[in-house]
Amino acid sequence: MNPYVLSILLMGLGLGTTVTFASSHWLLAWMGLEMNTLAILPLMAQHHHPRAVEATTKYFLIQSAAAATILFASSTNAWLSGQWDIQHITHPLPTVMITLALSLKLGLAPLHAWLPEVIQGLDLTTGLILSTWQKLAPFALLVQIFPDTPLLITSLGLISMVAGGWGGLNHTQLRKILAYSSVAHLGWMMVVMQFSTSLTALALLMYVIMTASAFLTFKLLKSTSMNNLAMSWAKAPSITALMPLVLLSLGGLPPLSGFLPKWLIIQELTKQELGLVATFAALSALLSLFFYLRMCYCLTFTSSPNNLVGTTPWRLETKQVSLPLAISTSLSILLLPISPAVLSLTLPLF
Amino acid sequence: MTLTHYAFSSSYFMSFLGLIFYRKHLLSALLCLEAMMLILFISLCLWGLILASTVFSAGPMILLAFSACEASAGLALLVAMARTHGTDRLKNLSLLQC
Amino acid sequence: MVYMTYLLLIGLVLGLAAVASNPSPYFAALGLVTVAGMSCGILVGYGGSFLSLILFLIYLGGMLVVFAYSAALASEPYPEGWGSWPVSTLMLVYVLLVVCVSVFFSGGWFEGSWVTVDEFSEFTLFRGDSGGVALMYSSGGGVLMLGGWVLLLTLFVVLELTRGLSRGTLRAV
Repeated sequence: MNPYVLSILLMGLGLGTTVTFASSHWLLAWMGLEMNTLAILPLMAQHHHPRAVEATTKYFLIQSAAAATILFASSTNAWLSGQWDIQHITHPLPTVMITLALSLKLGLAPLHAWLPEVIQGLDLTTGLILSTWQKLAPFALLVQIFPDTPLLITSLGLISMVAGGWGGLNHTQLRKILAYSSVAHLGWMMVVMQFSTSLTALALLMYVIMTASAFLTFKLLKSTSMNNLAMSWAKAPSITALMPLVLLSLGGLPPLSGFLPKWLIIQELTKQELGLVATFAALSALLSLFFYLRMCYCLTFTSSPNNLVGTTPWRLETKQVSLPLAISTSLSILLLPISPAVLSLTLPLF
Repeated sequence: MTLTHYAFSSSYFMSFLGLIFYRKHLLSALLCLEAMMLILFISLCLWGLILASTVFSAGPMILLAFSACEASAGLALLVAMARTHGTDRLKNLSLLQC
Repeated sequence: MVYMTYLLLIGLVLGLAAVASNPSPYFAALGLVTVAGMSCGILVGYGGSFLSLILFLIYLGGMLVVFAYSAALASEPYPEGWGSWPVSTLMLVYVLLVVCVSVFFSGGWFEGSWVTVDEFSEFTLFRGDSGGVALMYSSGGGVLMLGGWVLLLTLFVVLELTRGLSRGTLRAV
């Protein structure tokens, strides 16, 4: 792709999310969402092979239908109450419609079926943008409307956790597994949203960091399926040693930074006397942990049969930029000891 | 809920259902999407007209520009899909299933 | 005028049912033309003649020409009109659904006048809505810039999406 066109598209992505962040009027928020959708389409289809075009078409249909539903629900709210402000969604009908449309945009279960298929058709960089940057604008809207429907929000969150854990179990394609892990993480954010939005922001931040390091590592190793992972020790030994830690951090094991949001969310749920929900959430994390452990196993404990030449690529110098990978990997492993600082980073957001 | 509000709300839901339950041509799905945008245009216009809010009349125009953008992106996807898949049947979009 | 608006609303719902019941793309485009015409009439009935004109020009002049072009791309030898039974059944189901649901909402229809007072008619020399649209060029300048930027962005999006790398023809039939 031409670098000028690429820069225009990336500016469109940035501008769309910024407009949605800055807006208080639903029409402006909708404009930002549309700009996001339009700007990422050529990035998704940049290789023009059938899988990419299919993923782009599915993504376009889903996103524009969801955005139109958001605008329709807000215009219904305007008809019923005369308000266009994002924070003045009072009538229950538009609230439910907007919540469902935003969860379709985000890929929350039971509206998540498009996400694994779309991510499977993309290359890893675009998949990274899709599963991190594109989630920010809908999440900002969802936090701002602060939906007053606890049953809907909690059930969306719980179903997402279970569906994300369950869906990824038997897959061998890394991008699908990462998509399901994204669904599960979004479920954690949803469950705690009505009690503490700063914890939601914290979970979103940690999710973005960990997903970025996972995608960037797979991009460095050029692997998109479990089989390719078995050869990664021959490509980059040090990142192969660190990658299981990142994966376990995604799974939420204690000494790593992925434990931080899960810990705080379960603590908050317990404080609200929602013991059953907290137990359910903690148990459903085990489902996700299973496939992260499977990836770790393929990554570190197996070695596929190989000739001598195949074991030498680590001697070659890689051409890829490794600074973002280094930063995100160390952040996604080491953040737990400074958790008060991280928490105070997200507290003033709301 | 007035009669007008009910009429275009039900039309919106009809075209949304048409978009969801349809499995044959991509072009028809795009037409349903376009019908949804048309309903949104009417809804925004009538809101401004009924409340006599002159300032809001610019909103539907912007909406129209954005929906034109969306329609053209959809048609570009139609052409790209005709290139790669040779057809615009939605049933052909099954490479990524598993 | 009330009677006219009533007829136009019914036409709107029926036209949308015709589009949503998914006949072949030609017929769906025809249905969309009908819906656009009906909504122009409704907007005129509510006193928004300028917005109605814009809708008419954009939809019938621009967008549907494009759709007619691409209906040619997606053409099929035996098109399915509203006469064929799956389409007509679906349309009947949609219309019945709308009628049934209307029972729940019809209570509020007759509480107030649903025809607007039309305060805009003697607003200034021109109608109020055209004055409102003109505000887009003064106080709504930022939004106008955003709209222009998106149109530019869409140009690049369409060019990048439809760029055929080494696959020459549009369709290999």
